[in-house]
Amino acid sequence: MIIRDKFKIALIPFSALVFGIFALILIIFFANSIQIFEKEGLAIYTTSRWLASEDPSLEFYGVLPAIYGSLYTSGIAILIALPLSVAYSVFVVDYAPRRIKEWLIIATDIMTGLPTIIYGIWGAFFLVPFVKKYLMEPLYENFSFIPLFSYPPSTGHSFLSGGILLGIMVTPFAAAIIREAYRTIPYTYREAVYALGATKYEATRVLIGYIKPAILAGLVLAFGRAIGETVAVSLVIGNTFNISPSLFAPGYTISSLIANQFGNAFIYEHMVSALFAAGLSLSFIGLAVNLLVFRMLRRWEHARS
Amino acid sequence: MPDRRRAKEIVFQAVVAILTFSTIAPLLHIIFSVFVEGLPVLIKGGISFLTDTLAPPSDGLGGIGPAIVGTFVLIALSSLMGLPIALMTGIYSAEYPRSIIGRAAKILLQIMMEFPTILVGLFVMELLVIPMGSYSALAGAFALAVIMMPYVAISTEEALKEIPRSYREAAFSLGLSRAQVVFRVLIKMAKRGTLTGILVGMAKVAGETAPLLFTAGGSERIYFRGLNRPIGAIPLLIYQLVQQPYDNYHQIAWGASLLLMLIFLGIFIPTRLLLREVKF
Repeated sequence: MIIRDKFKIALIPFSALVFGIFALILIIFFANSIQIFEKEGLAIYTTSRWLASEDPSLEFYGVLPAIYGSLYTSGIAILIALPLSVAYSVFVVDYAPRRIKEWLIIATDIMTGLPTIIYGIWGAFFLVPFVKKYLMEPLYENFSFIPLFSYPPSTGHSFLSGGILLGIMVTPFAAAIIREAYRTIPYTYREAVYALGATKYEATRVLIGYIKPAILAGLVLAFGRAIGETVAVSLVIGNTFNISPSLFAPGYTISSLIANQFGNAFIYEHMVSALFAAGLSLSFIGLAVNLLVFRMLRRWEHARS
Repeated sequence: MPDRRRAKEIVFQAVVAILTFSTIAPLLHIIFSVFVEGLPVLIKGGISFLTDTLAPPSDGLGGIGPAIVGTFVLIALSSLMGLPIALMTGIYSAEYPRSIIGRAAKILLQIMMEFPTILVGLFVMELLVIPMGSYSALAGAFALAVIMMPYVAISTEEALKEIPRSYREAAFSLGLSRAQVVFRVLIKMAKRGTLTGILVGMAKVAGETAPLLFTAGGSERIYFRGLNRPIGAIPLLIYQLVQQPYDNYHQIAWGASLLLMLIFLGIFIPTRLLLREVKF
């Protein structure tokens, strides 16, 4: 450009500030993690011993249980989100009368924005006892030989409670993407399927196959939301270091570990750094999820146009 | 149609309807529970629930005044910090969509929107709280500003881009500079979309808990003391009270939840009404 665009130059500092803040976030996380990497190496991520001690030489931190818990609960969450968000999208686009459709969309919009602490208080005082009484206790009594159900339900705070609460919370995020994709399937496709004499069930099966990439993108996004969620899940998961295959066992997630331990971490020599390293792993999972969704949606948009 | 196909069809439609209901049933139950548990607290506590400070354990309801004031102070402060930056960033991406900064900013904003909010809190603690030596309103507001920015910037950008080219061309043909075109013409046309983004951003930060844990610090018994002192917030208070073993604290938490939900809906409903009218 020969003529200098003053407007552009005036705006650049603001954009630069956003980049600067994000760069600073990454720098601070790396800088604070170095100490624990030097002390423990990758053992911070691969071991499950958590030893806080006044004596720095005894301190040892392994956050594997938290990483495990994050993946476990977020996995449960997207298993719940998949059928719910797909059925919701089909119902809203194909079946719901106009008025009901409006209300359904408003409801899921509220759910995406509702303060997560409200999910948290509901989860702690209603969902946990409910899940314990109607899912955990009957399953434990009858099927405790299956490893998934092998842990005696004590308080109800568990991977399962965390996963269900996260599933409820992230379904609307997946549903927003899937609904939009399902709505924009070209009309000729629908006509073609019905022209073959397909029932609604058969037609939906074909059309769902068509938007598979968008469903995948929606679920990955939901996974990202679930893994980053903090306060709601920390109120229902039990906050215990634990790697158990059982759904009924209490556990930790990366974010609930940080929320719980960071407040008193400064008493110890290395704990702050250990928690920053845990946060670093969480931000990497978050970044990976984002890039994945970004690429998948872009490819999907290309394929359609 | 053979019977088996018809049966499948009926089962399918029933399953879809049931699953759809299951998606929103938790919301209905949450709203129901919050009202059933929270409303008696608000009625029993009366005005003093809104103005008093936190009661001692197992001794009445007291009030959540400092947290309410704190929430509004934090919304105002974080808007003050975040909105200008977010609006300008959004305008930049809309005006220069092909520039490297414009394109990179869009990706970055998307990433920031999904970034775990607890990590923002950790970042601000290291950046502000530790150097300043204390939790503070300033640190809490800064963390919230970082969270608010992408919502506002993206919706500003989208609102600006929706304006038909012809309006832009007409404005330029009047001999206005680019700054004048953007600030005098386009921004006013994109008012609704931009405002929606601002309201969504505010609703979002009004309900955030995680980023405040290590930045705002909380303040249950003392009102606003200054920008460099700890400050309370309703979500933070709820989080702390739920974890206490005292019955009256749980009641206060429900009352506070109802209040928080009303604040959220108070921002959300007008936003929805605005959004439906966004059309050119």
